[in-house]
Amino acid sequence: MTLRLAALTATAVVGLSVSAHAADVKIGYQLPLTGDTAQYGQDFRKAAEIALDEFKAADKPFKVEIVFEDSRSDAKEGVNIARKFVDDKAIVGVLGDFTSGVSMAAAQVYKEAGLAQLSQTASHPDYTKISKYQFRNIATQAQEGPYNAKWMASKGFKNVAVIAEQTDWGQSVVAGYTEAVKAGGGQVAFSEFFNRGLKDYRSLISKIERAKPDAIYTGFFYEDGAQFLKQLQQLGVKTPVYSTSAAYSPKLLELSGDAADGLHLTSNFLPTNPDPAVQKFVAEWKKRSNGAEPGQFPAQAYDAVRIMLAAVEKAQPNPTRESVRDALAQTKDFPGITGKTTFDADREANKELTKVEVKGGQFAPVKE
Amino acid sequence: MDLFDPYYLQQLAIGLSLGMTYALMAIGFTLIFGVLNVVNFAHGEIYTLGAFAGLVLITAAAPPIAAVVFAALAIGAFAGFSLERLAFKPFRRFTDEASLKSRAMRESTLLSSLAVSIVVREALEIVFGSQMRSVPFEYLINTPVRVGPVILVTGDFIILGVAAAMLIGLQYLLTRTRIGLSIRAVSNNPLGAKYVGIDTDRTIIMTFVVGSMMGAAAGILVGLYYGAIFPAMGFVPGIKAFVAMVMGGLSSIPGAVICALILGISESMATTFVSSGWSDMVAYGFLILTLIFFPNGLFGAGRERV
Repeated sequence: MTLRLAALTATAVVGLSVSAHAADVKIGYQLPLTGDTAQYGQDFRKAAEIALDEFKAADKPFKVEIVFEDSRSDAKEGVNIARKFVDDKAIVGVLGDFTSGVSMAAAQVYKEAGLAQLSQTASHPDYTKISKYQFRNIATQAQEGPYNAKWMASKGFKNVAVIAEQTDWGQSVVAGYTEAVKAGGGQVAFSEFFNRGLKDYRSLISKIERAKPDAIYTGFFYEDGAQFLKQLQQLGVKTPVYSTSAAYSPKLLELSGDAADGLHLTSNFLPTNPDPAVQKFVAEWKKRSNGAEPGQFPAQAYDAVRIMLAAVEKAQPNPTRESVRDALAQTKDFPGITGKTTFDADREANKELTKVEVKGGQFAPVKE
Repeated sequence: MDLFDPYYLQQLAIGLSLGMTYALMAIGFTLIFGVLNVVNFAHGEIYTLGAFAGLVLITAAAPPIAAVVFAALAIGAFAGFSLERLAFKPFRRFTDEASLKSRAMRESTLLSSLAVSIVVREALEIVFGSQMRSVPFEYLINTPVRVGPVILVTGDFIILGVAAAMLIGLQYLLTRTRIGLSIRAVSNNPLGAKYVGIDTDRTIIMTFVVGSMMGAAAGILVGLYYGAIFPAMGFVPGIKAFVAMVMGGLSSIPGAVICALILGISESMATTFVSSGWSDMVAYGFLILTLIFFPNGLFGAGRERV
């Protein structure tokens, strides 16, 4: 018995020393691949596969594998996946989840286990406050709210209605914006939440219009956004609409047609950016999606995966969970397609935002 | 607070049009329940299938809108037939009296229809992806129409017309035709109907075909109305139709339609007083109130089934 144990230990030690130079590792990716938000998870997987294929083509001395697990945007499922990832000792870093709610639920598990988690989209301010293991590659509403508030104030809108989906994220949209407006001496005429996936916004629109706002600030994703904008047009409402980068998706234009014209929003990715890295990603994306253009979220996912891969590479030859986290924290000026990424002391990626307006069925960058 | 404030008229109009979309779904749902006395959980997926069938035809051939609705009806009929064969017929395998009267046997179809609904939804996701798909704009039925101080869209009138035609057609079918007579016989007493020589199997299949055609037509119409078609689109209307059916007394089709309208109006009116995020509470609140105070539904007591 003792002998066998000794033999096993010896094998293990030999095994370890063999892998000591350029160890093969795994990265976990939790994301919704089925269910109501599957379209986002599917896009993330596609973006991650593009990033991984490019990484493999670069002929590195070690192999990386990404393990995808379907969270269905369900917090319970997210926690189960997090436990599974934590148990797999080959996993040195985790990407995901999609929503702030699920990311924050899973974060509790990663915090205990000491495994770095990098979400491409969780933008709730509290997410990175959970522990030193939470990172994100998206502007938070604490950053976007004041940015948009300033933009709208510069247009002379004093009385603004704010609506957002009834989620952790939606609440951060309203809070981030409202605080900034109040700090600037303005006022929010009206704020309300709606359920994600609501089909008929006409009641809500009539109610907003009764408050006679100068403009409407909205926290929605493209599905809800498209319905909202179309019904706004149906009811003949001309009040200008502003939105966050979450609505930035070519699908928004496809679904709402000319109803989207005049929508103002922010973004950190433009598929029309002439930067060769952007064009390379856009070309590869189109090849894999029947010619459709990528939105901002897949671009953030692509960058998040590359940031994680770079951290794993930096932690070679013997990456551990701790060394990958440290390498991630040291990320500085990472040249991504969503701008340069540097994690600050709070593990926030301070993304550069661009002002965009929908003109003639296209997203067009605007100065003012 | 002036009740004839155009604001309330507009909310009323929105509520009515919302209620009509629920009613469209509730008619087929209630018909199937009335005959089998079990909920057909796959009705929402029939609705989705109808919408996708229409969309596929639109993208492939760009036919006139009537042809699109007929394609949805055909797919609905086929889907209803297949659904019955897959999820309901196997549970009628045993024809002895004990099995025919067994609640457990009948209620197993709750789960089998739920299983079919999951398989269909996931299959649609694999084939079409879970993204919302847009409908070419020339097919949309949401051109604004101004009626006095109120703004409606063309689809409101089309849906109203179709729902009325469905309701009247169904009443005609049920009361004036032989197949309607047998549907009513089976829904009243399946065993008795069998003993007097009615082909209950055939009647049940017919009910599914008719009910599912209506579900599929509802799907394509609501799809063209809102301009977005996606695999999970049947879920919420399914819940609303279920609530309308329970409120209406489980097996009364006119009752379900009236309750669908009440539901729609209450939801849009509620938005005025509470946050829109709470408007779903209206449906569930009605469901609970009905179950507590009107266990037979608002229109259920003392009526003939179906």
